[in-house]
Amino acid sequence: MILLKHIHKKFKNNHVLKGIDLEVSKGDVVTIIGPSGSGKTTLLRCVNYLEKPDEGIISINDLTIQTKKPVKKDILQLRRRTAMVFQHYNLFENKTVLENVTEGLIIAQKKSKKMAREIGVDILTKVGLADKINAYPQQLSGGQKQRVGIARALALNPDVLLFDEPTSALDPEMVGEVLEIIREIASGGVTMMIVTHEIDFACEVSNRVVFMDDGQIIEQGPPDDILIHPKQERTRKFLKRIMKEPDFTI
Amino acid sequence: MSVMNDWFSLFIQVLDKLPITLFMLLISLVCSLVLGVAIAIVRIKRFTVLYQIATFYLSFCRSTPLLVQLFLVYFGLPQLLLAFQIDINSLDRMIFVLISLSLHNAAYLSEVVRSAYLAVGEDQFEAAYSVGMTYTQALWRVVLPQAFVLSLPNLGNNIIELLKDTSLAFTIGIIDIMGQVRIILGNNHGIGMFEIYVVISLIYWGTCILIEMVISTLEKVLKKGKVSLSKS
Repeated sequence: MILLKHIHKKFKNNHVLKGIDLEVSKGDVVTIIGPSGSGKTTLLRCVNYLEKPDEGIISINDLTIQTKKPVKKDILQLRRRTAMVFQHYNLFENKTVLENVTEGLIIAQKKSKKMAREIGVDILTKVGLADKINAYPQQLSGGQKQRVGIARALALNPDVLLFDEPTSALDPEMVGEVLEIIREIASGGVTMMIVTHEIDFACEVSNRVVFMDDGQIIEQGPPDDILIHPKQERTRKFLKRIMKEPDFTI
Repeated sequence: MSVMNDWFSLFIQVLDKLPITLFMLLISLVCSLVLGVAIAIVRIKRFTVLYQIATFYLSFCRSTPLLVQLFLVYFGLPQLLLAFQIDINSLDRMIFVLISLSLHNAAYLSEVVRSAYLAVGEDQFEAAYSVGMTYTQALWRVVLPQAFVLSLPNLGNNIIELLKDTSLAFTIGIIDIMGQVRIILGNNHGIGMFEIYVVISLIYWGTCILIEMVISTLEKVLKKGKVSLSKS
């Protein structure tokens, strides 16, 4: 179980997170939505300490970090219990697809090369990249890169998988293949936190939706409640705004 | 015929000392690379006290001539250390050359390393952290290998510059190729300056061409899957 208590984060004078409390149970798929600049991504990045919160408590199962006085070893532990899929993939550019997946297994988790390779090939086959394991990231399309990103995160077998707008940088035609894989993982019972702009996807894949605005959680609940019958005015306004976006025909 | 023989024997005489020049190049390159990486990291991570020291050192090394630094190390350092009851006057003079070349070149190399490190980008660190690596692991496994490739053009420049810097060692009595030239000239009472300086120019030039070839081969081998979409 993941517990975030009273998380605050400031960038200079910009108060991005204003006291976030959030609980994620094992097996939950939580989607975080909200307007740009609402702090969704920052919150997600605080969970694995890529962003250092100014105040608050982060705990995953029995590991608790007081962000006022964090212990280096605990931060490493936190990162080893989480894994992240980045908006811009962040693949290791100097490593092949397979090495991207096995690197964390070998270096951080101290698995044997043989075992890491088995896990890597297995997962890359699942995401449909068995024929690309020796390619370098620069030789892949955006959709393929993000599937490597997902494979890399999934291979670590983390307590929670963090997705930071995994489809925002993709061409529209590639969004589908990536969402399909996330959908599959979600049905496998992996705990996930997803920041996304894909409202339909959020509705379908998650069992809880969190709406954030201006550094605060405005409301949260099952997708139907939040996305179809929102209680708060701000949620309604946001949903109306993105639902209203016309389908362009060119 | 005898003219050809003269040129040939000059070449042989000067080439005879090339190993000394290459020795200075290689040792001071390795030392300055290690020191340069350390200085670059200190300056990037801004370790407070070390940062000040590194910046001061950098400023000094880049703003005074290498010849002055060489004399400072060779004549000044023993005198300074003697005040602390340490006698290094008996050390081989080569040691002093290697120290000053390494210290001097490390300053320049640290900037080469720093720019390459910064060019790799924070996203590679974040990716490494996200899979559970420590800073040191991320540095050695992910960032430095990429930074090395990015630094190759500048590194090549630096090595060539260092090769030419070794020619100052003769001023404190090292018999490298430059020292050899001075000896030959001394024996000839200064006759044949043109020939001998042409010969040593060609030797420096040839060595530089070899270094450039090694660097460009390394660039080709290490670029790993980097493809330019705009070229296809």
